[in-house]
Amino acid sequence: MTHLIIAVEFIILVYFLALNSFYGLLLLMSIPEVWEQTRLAEDEDLQKLMLSDALPPLTIMVPAHNEGETIETSVTAMLTLEYRQYEVVVVNDGSKDDTIQHLRDAFDLYEVPRIYPETIITQPIRAVYRSRSRTRLTVIDKENGGKADALNAAINASRYPLVIAVDADTLIEPDALLRLTRPFLLGGNVAAVGGTIRVANDCTVEHGRVLDPRVPRSFLPGIQVVEYLRAFLFGRLGWNRLGGNLIISGAFGLFRREYLLTIGGYLTNSVVEDMDVVVRLHRHLREKKIPYVMPFIPDPVAWTEVPSTVAVLSRQRERWHRGLIASVWTYRDMLFNPRYGQVGVVAVPFFVFGEMLAPVVEVVGYVIAVLAVATGRVDPVFAILFFLFAWGYGLCLSIWGVVLEETSFRKYRRSGDLGRLLLYAMLENFGYRQCTVWWRLKAFWAAWRRRKTWGEMTRTGFGGPPRQSRLYAQSPSGMWQKVE
Amino acid sequence: MGGEVTARHLVLVAAVVQGAFVAALLLLIVVNRWVRLRRRAAIQPRREAAEQEFRRWAAGDSDVAAVANALVPLPASIAIERLAAWSTRVPVDRWPALAEALSRARWGEKLRRSARSRRWWRRLQSARFLAAAGIAEDVPKLARLIRDPHPAVHLAAVSALNHVNSAELAEAAIDQLPVLPLHVGMYFAMALRRGRQVAVPLFDQRLTRFDDPALPRFAEYAARLQEPSLRPRFTALAKHPNKEVRAQAARALGALPHAESQAALLALLKDEAWVVRAQAARGLGLLGAHQALPGLRKALRDPEWWVRLRAALALTRFGGAGRDALLLEERGPDAGARNVTELVLGLSPQALAEYAT
Repeated sequence: MTHLIIAVEFIILVYFLALNSFYGLLLLMSIPEVWEQTRLAEDEDLQKLMLSDALPPLTIMVPAHNEGETIETSVTAMLTLEYRQYEVVVVNDGSKDDTIQHLRDAFDLYEVPRIYPETIITQPIRAVYRSRSRTRLTVIDKENGGKADALNAAINASRYPLVIAVDADTLIEPDALLRLTRPFLLGGNVAAVGGTIRVANDCTVEHGRVLDPRVPRSFLPGIQVVEYLRAFLFGRLGWNRLGGNLIISGAFGLFRREYLLTIGGYLTNSVVEDMDVVVRLHRHLREKKIPYVMPFIPDPVAWTEVPSTVAVLSRQRERWHRGLIASVWTYRDMLFNPRYGQVGVVAVPFFVFGEMLAPVVEVVGYVIAVLAVATGRVDPVFAILFFLFAWGYGLCLSIWGVVLEETSFRKYRRSGDLGRLLLYAMLENFGYRQCTVWWRLKAFWAAWRRRKTWGEMTRTGFGGPPRQSRLYAQSPSGMWQKVE
Repeated sequence: MGGEVTARHLVLVAAVVQGAFVAALLLLIVVNRWVRLRRRAAIQPRREAAEQEFRRWAAGDSDVAAVANALVPLPASIAIERLAAWSTRVPVDRWPALAEALSRARWGEKLRRSARSRRWWRRLQSARFLAAAGIAEDVPKLARLIRDPHPAVHLAAVSALNHVNSAELAEAAIDQLPVLPLHVGMYFAMALRRGRQVAVPLFDQRLTRFDDPALPRFAEYAARLQEPSLRPRFTALAKHPNKEVRAQAARALGALPHAESQAALLALLKDEAWVVRAQAARGLGLLGAHQALPGLRKALRDPEWWVRLRAALALTRFGGAGRDALLLEERGPDAGARNVTELVLGLSPQALAEYAT
């Protein structure tokens, strides 16, 4: 028994050091990356180019299900973004409410024949509409098939070479499209680009625009701001340098349409279709030996509402982790497979050992530590010091996310917001982190039982009454949840 | 001292290091905010002073030396940004005097030297400065910057074509066209369009190199100039063995109304490659010459869907005659023609306007 404890202790210690060294590497990698991205974001000539006709035209794909109350505001906001040539394809995914009627009334829709081929098979299309008042708008009314199916219908209907998937209730900053296309202007064969998702809770929102970004006063949404900053500004920027961005936000990610068509679009039976589509893209492009890049750029921003109650948050995290487990299992042949380059050798192993197994190792670590202290094998003071050290490391990473935000894009200008960010960064590792570990651990049980339910989520909305709807929310680690 | 070093000591040291790191990060956040605030407070009045000097100079109440002096206390990035903004507002004939004055300023010299820097951001700053305030002797530097491997640098440098009419610069930009990503190439083409005086003769030469593998790219970007003097070249390219070149020629000729363009497009409408036929149909629609009606009507029965669609869309630009042709084919014996005419006749004027361009 003692030998077993020693062996497990040793494994956990090695895991702890390896994982944290890797986080340290990501931290280091994020420094030049954020510096370069900030410089490029401020480059006047690039901005001029972005306002010119040279920009590639793109399609914004908006899946909507029971979004009747907000659809007009959201779509109007999307139709007034700063970009020369784009279209918005809204897919009414078999809504049971009056979403389609709202769209008809608000945008003076008229039915047109469907002239595009159904390259990806979807649920039957009831009708295709164009708008008399907004020439950029196309609306597809189809039978319910889920978010992936709705996105596939939008890909089929899209006329432009680049497509962006956004949620009907995601708030896109007016210049975000311009910024998102920057990598296409900087050369290289760009397969997809990811932008930043930020937390919209407590922000002042008017007409679908975030006017005053705030750090929420309530604990749960506030702590998620720190999580999102860490995940986007330091995690993904670091991955840019390591060449293996496995995640492009489903709530706000740009893809080359031809590649999506080639891989057959989004998988309709996947729990996390956004992660799934990115992994399949990597896989396809590597197998076909097509050179490509899939960068993350931090300055294009979309805002989304995050869960504000423990019950909803726990379901969300459990679902995300279930999706991660499913994806890792589906694409297990990529693990340590040099055929897939850095993705196979670095990114996938990190997601398996550093993300998927992390809650298991952490819980085993707690148990072993208690056992070791109880059996007198480890000095209690040492154990406490070690846990403080681990907490300190987590704190460093969280504060690093805040530092990157402060030295680059500075969305939160008030001192009070900064104070709250730092406070949440310090509190995150006490209780909140352990809760997320438990929620993620439960995902293994659910995955084992092959559970495919989506759960329920209540959103308070931006200035409106609380509502329950099917939501497609984005995790900091990039995975979708669909909530009914 | 001299005691045994235990694991507890190691963890303690690590904790102390972490504590110091966290304290340093917190300090960094505070100092960063403080420096930014102070910097903004210090720069704003200087920026306003420079702006006022620019205004006075533009109105003829001040000289270039005063403007150059007002830019000195500003950080280089802001000074360049103001220069770039004012370069589009001041008459072209007055701008070289300011550029000349800036070339003698110390910060201007420093920025010029940065054109050879190993750091891309320094070269970028140099390119931005030279693009706004470059003089004749800066042309070789700008040409090198246009060929710079960093995209941000060559994008900044190519803007110089807005102010500097130099064949050397235009040639550097044209040389880059085949290797640039499509959208960047389009931006270069836009800059070349503004400097068309020097760009057109260079494109004219390139379009005669029939064996050049980059010819399709040159034809594509030259077509964007919509330059009538290049029409004979495109007419000749309509017989090129490479189908991509022929397709680009068809695209270009559609924007160059002339009897020869029309004849060439009618010939291309019978091309063996469908991409060429589709572009020829589109071009004939843009030209709107009635002699093309029978050819376009025949193209409605083309085996390739895209050619049929392009021909149908082209016919919508011929008014009543085109519409009659479409209505006849809608009831005609060819299923493909019936299908596409039905589709196009069902489109709203708005949709037609979008498709027909």
